[in-house]
Order: sequence, then C-alpha cells, then structure tokens
Amino acid sequence: MAAVLIDQVTKTFRQHVAVDNLSLQVPRGSIYGFIGPNGSGKTTTLRMIMRILYPDRGLIHVLDDAGQKSRSILDRVAYLPEERGLYKQMKVREVLRFYAELKGCRHSRSAIDDWLKRMDLGTWANKKVEALSKGTAQKVQFIATVIAQPELVLLDEPFTGLDPVNTEVLREAILDLRRKGATIIFSTHDMSVAEKLCDLLFMIYKGRKVLDGTLESIQDAYGNDTLRVHLDGPATLDDLPGVAKVTDLGRWQELRLASGADSQQILACLMQRGQVRHFELIRPTLHDIFVRIARPDFNEVDKVHA
Amino acid sequence: MRKMLVIAVREYLAAVRTKAFIIGLVIMPILMGGSVVVQWLLKDFHDIKEKHFIVVDRTPGAQLVGPIKDIVKDYNETQTHDPQTGKQVQPRFDVQSEPPSEAIDEQRVDLSDRVATGELFGFLDIGPDVLEASSAADARKESHSIRYQSNRPTNESFPRLMRDKLIAKVQDLRFDAAQVKTPREKVRRIMQPVPVESKGLTRRDHEGKPKDANDQIRLAPVAVPMGLMMLMFMIIMMSATPLMQGVVEEKMQRIAEVLLASVRPFELMLGKLLGMTAVSLTITAVYLAGAYWSAHEYGFAEYIPGALLVWFFLFQMLAALMYGSLFIAIGAACTDMKETQNLLWPVMMLAIMPMFVLGNVLQEPNSAVATGLSFFPFATPMLMILRQSVQPGVESWQPILGAAIVLATTLACVWAAGRIFRVGILMQGKGAQLGEMMRWVFRG
Repeated sequence: MAAVLIDQVTKTFRQHVAVDNLSLQVPRGSIYGFIGPNGSGKTTTLRMIMRILYPDRGLIHVLDDAGQKSRSILDRVAYLPEERGLYKQMKVREVLRFYAELKGCRHSRSAIDDWLKRMDLGTWANKKVEALSKGTAQKVQFIATVIAQPELVLLDEPFTGLDPVNTEVLREAILDLRRKGATIIFSTHDMSVAEKLCDLLFMIYKGRKVLDGTLESIQDAYGNDTLRVHLDGPATLDDLPGVAKVTDLGRWQELRLASGADSQQILACLMQRGQVRHFELIRPTLHDIFVRIARPDFNEVDKVHA
Repeated sequence: MRKMLVIAVREYLAAVRTKAFIIGLVIMPILMGGSVVVQWLLKDFHDIKEKHFIVVDRTPGAQLVGPIKDIVKDYNETQTHDPQTGKQVQPRFDVQSEPPSEAIDEQRVDLSDRVATGELFGFLDIGPDVLEASSAADARKESHSIRYQSNRPTNESFPRLMRDKLIAKVQDLRFDAAQVKTPREKVRRIMQPVPVESKGLTRRDHEGKPKDANDQIRLAPVAVPMGLMMLMFMIIMMSATPLMQGVVEEKMQRIAEVLLASVRPFELMLGKLLGMTAVSLTITAVYLAGAYWSAHEYGFAEYIPGALLVWFFLFQMLAALMYGSLFIAIGAACTDMKETQNLLWPVMMLAIMPMFVLGNVLQEPNSAVATGLSFFPFATPMLMILRQSVQPGVESWQPILGAAIVLATTLACVWAAGRIFRVGILMQGKGAQLGEMMRWVFRG
C-alpha cells in the first residue's frame, strides 16, 4: 500500500510545463528524497500532493483516500513549505496550538510541551515569533508541521539554514517520526543528507522524472566509471586518452571514463605525468550524478572544448 | 467549518489584542474632534503684526476715506487690546488712501501685486456710485458696491469691520444728500432688520414645564446623522485595512502556504472575513455604547432611538463583509503593500462616495436623488443610516430593501473575492492588474 501514488500527472502554468507526465510511488514508512535543481518541479509536485494545486491530467492518491478529491485526508498529512512562514506577532505556544487546531487536533498542550522540550525550545514557549533566530524559527515551524501526528510528512528543504547541531536534532526527529510509522517525503539540495537519510531517491529535472530508486540502484545504473586521483604538483589531465571529463575538486581530481576505457591504462598514463598519491575507482556520488544531469558543464573541463 | 472558526478566532484575537487596536479605539474620536480641541488650544495665540490696507475711493470727492480712517482709528484704540489685561490680542490696521486711476484694471493689478509681495494685506475699491440712494437692482452693480480684494480670503476681520461700521457712514452721507427731514435715528429704527432664529422643538421637562431645546440639542439633528455615517466609514477603514495588510503579510511570509495545507482557500478567506467582521462589530459596540450613553447624558436620546442602533449594527456588519471581501481580494492579488495602493483607489472611491453627497442628502434626505443613491449597494449602508437618522426618517420598507440589496451584493463580492483569493494567494513575484483579477473571477 503506497502512501502516495502519483499516476501520469501533468501540470502546466500558462505555457510552462512544470510537471510532465510524472508517475511515482512512495511506499508507506519510507523516507523518500526529492532532488532536482531549482525550478524543476519539486515544489509543484509537493503542492499537488497537498491539494494546494490540482493536476491538469493524471491522478494523485494520498494515503487511503480512495481517489476522492476531498481535502479531509489532509488532516493526516503535514507540509513544511520551502520558504516557511509563521505569524510574527504570535507567541510560540499560540502559533503551535493554532496549527494543531487547523489539523483538527484540539488537545495539543502536552504534545507541544514534549516537542518544545525535545527541540530544546522550552525557554522560547512564551516569546513572540519575531524574537526568534532563523534556526530557532525553523525548528518551531517543524514542530508546527508535525504537531498533529501526521501519517505523511512533506518537508520542502527542511535543512537549509540550520547549523550542524540543529541539523542533527532535526535528522533525529525525522528518523523518529519514521520509527513511529510515518512516511516522510523531503526535498533537498544537500546531496550528502539525501544519501545518508533517504531509503529512496527521486530526481526531477525540467518536470520529468530522471532518477528513481535506492541510492545503490541509481549508482549501479551509472556504473564504476569515475576515478578519483591525486597527483603531486601541477599536472594537466585534460588530454588524457580514455577520459571523458575532468572535474577539479581542488585537493583531487575526478575523472569520468569514456565508455570502454581501461582504468589501468589511465593509471599508466598518470604515472608518466607525475607522482600519483591517490588512485581510486569509485561509483559516482549522488552529487556527481545530479550535476551530470542538471548542469553538464558545471565546474568541469570539457575535453571537447579544451 | 470548524477550521474556518479557528482562522476567524485567530484573526480576531490577533487584531483585538494589539496595543494599536486599543490606542486606535481611543484616538479615533479624539482625531475626529481634534480640530475643535486644537482651535480651543490656539485661541490665545494671536498674530498681532500690523496689517496695511489701501483705499481707492472713486466716489466724487473721495468722501469715504475720512470715515474709513475714523473707523479704523476707533478700532485700533478700542478693539485691539484685551480690556482686562491690556495685552494686545488683535492686529492694528493701517489704512492709506490712493487716488483712483482712470485705468481701473491696471490699478487693481498694481495693488494686487503689492498684496502678493506682502507689502499690503488687501485693498478696498469703492465704486463711484456707492453714495447714491439706489434701487435694490442697481445696488448689485459694481459701480454701486465696494470691493475688498486680498489673497487671504479666510481672514475676515477687516472686511467684517467695514461691513459693520461703514454702512452707517454711507447712510449718513446719503441722508445728507437727500436732505431727509425725519431724524436719522428714527429711520434706522424703522429699518432695523428682524432676526429669524432657528430653534429646536420645545418639550416639557421632567417637572412638566415647557422647555426650549438648548443649542447643543439643536445641533443634534444634524450632528447625529453625520456622526453615525462618519463612524461607519471609519470603522470600515479601521478593520478592513489591517485585514488587507494581514493577507499581504501572509503572502510575503509564506504563511498562506502553510494554512492552505490545512484549509481550503475559500474557508481561509471566509474565516479571515468573519474575524474581521467581528473586529468591526466590537468597535461598533464600543462606540455605539458611548454614543448611547452620551445621548442620554446630554439629553438628545430621542435622536438615537434603539431601532436606529439595531439598523446601524446590521448595516455595519454587511458593510464590513462587503468591503472586507474587496480588501481581501486586493491583498491576495498583491505581493507587497505598495502595490495595494494602485488597486485600492476604485474601492476607496466607492467608500468615499457617500461623503461627497453628504450635504445634499442632509438637506433633502427624501429627494428622489438621495433615495436612489441610497440603493446603490456600495453606498447603501452609509447613506441609508444617514437618511434614517435625519428627521423624520424613511419609510420602513426602504432599509429592508436596502439591506437585501447589500446582502446580495455582499454575497457576490465574497464569491468573486474567493475566486481572486484562490489564485492570488499563492502567486509570488508580480502583483496582478485589475483586468487580470477580473479574468480570475470569470474564468478561474
């Protein structure tokens, strides 16, 4: 039984196709990462799941709504928008009670206390939102999102602007929600978080699905085609035979093999060029795959143009 | 439905619990009565700089220059100082004569220039035939009258002095010319104008003795209707403007998106509208209670009957819903407060319209024009209350029909605003134009 089932959904704004014939299945109890460049359709997809927007074509099933377009199912779904908003003039506790009531949860007092304590926000309970720092406000917003014990949680960029300590607190909270049976969908630009946290990953680019599956399956699809090398001293590697692209990461270079190239031959070439300190055949990182899809020329020395 | 109430309650508390609300509640009436207070406070501050005037006397032999100088001399000696303290409280006048020129217009331009530079305060131009005993028709001609020219038309002290005193001098000269035998004083007494005074109705006081209405009560038949209409306008603005600001804020802070994850756009809008209406009715209740109390305290309760207050409450509620929905739609279509100004003016025109016709309606509350205007839905709440509160009031079917028309308009406005709100509330970046908003209404 899927928590969310997206079936051939298309959404167009005027001439711009924001989501193009998208199908996706989010299993219950999973943490699903949505990645993709800005403007690729992530937020539109999340908004359609929330029924803030309606698809032009296709169907979206949420939990066990049996295909009805009713919004009452939304009491069991929570949404943290990317540019999150709280009423500045309200006190933290009031704003949390308000959002709980909007989800139909009337007795939220003890839950609010638990969450404030857990997020280390106890001293802020009776302060106005406008007095909070950005990171603190973000934690409050997260509590506002999950206060009504949702079964499905949609988080749009929940980690932006958080320091490492708070990132850890939030990560722990998300994992805890999953342990209690919730399904979590979150979008992020931070590939390392996505790699660590997500059971499944989905990448959307220009409204189309370009990746979908576990990290392993995605990496397998791209194969062991990347070399991470470190040479002493300056060395130009642009013209190495059998290398399609060179990405200079500063402390080391990543070489993407041309199809059919032999890594051992490249090693031999490298040894002629200089002192090889490090040579490793790796699977491409999610970051690498993302960049390859979204911006093929990003920070890369393209052999064709060199 | 329940979520709508959650929104409405938050909206209401957010508005009512602010200091600005409490302060506004107190300050508004002070601002309205403020001009009176300021005048009272400034009554002891006087400009006592001497004012210079020129007289151009075109009568044969310039016979009025002397009398005018006498009048001014007498004024300077007796009127410019406070008799108790001896302190100067009014400016002295200085009058110089200038011979009339044949080029009348040229002379007037020259003198006007001297007024414009500040050298003179004004000048008198006395027509050549002023001293003739003329018919009423002739008296209106320029040659038979005195012009007072100045660029400060609001300062009446000099022309008033001339009006009061110069007439007798002119009459004296006319008596001389006509060689009237009857003593002048007798003629003046015969010609003494009879005052016609406006008074309120005479009632019996609590001891049963007939009693005249005092001046305060005499003003009530005009002051009460005007006050009620201004009050309604003020309350609409006091509650609708923060509502619109709230919508813009929710858009800017992206709160709207969080809310829409829980409630339908129409529920959200309706909740906000109900909250705002409750705010406006709270203000209404406070002010009406104040008005009712002072009406009883100062004895003009008969001009604020209970039924009128009930109608006021009802019309205020409808006006809040009607204008509130328009303000909400504008807020939803804009991305910051500056943009709202462009879209707001048509709505403001509708709201201010009753003010423009206030005078006419007060004069003739049951004329065809006043009656017709009071059925124009956006003006109905204010104009109907105005007409109802002017004696003798309106026929009872009129406010009922008016309320029905406003109710229908309100429903249409709420529906249209809902369509605009649904599209606008998620829109970021650029605000919408009026035409675009109309498209949202009709095509969704």
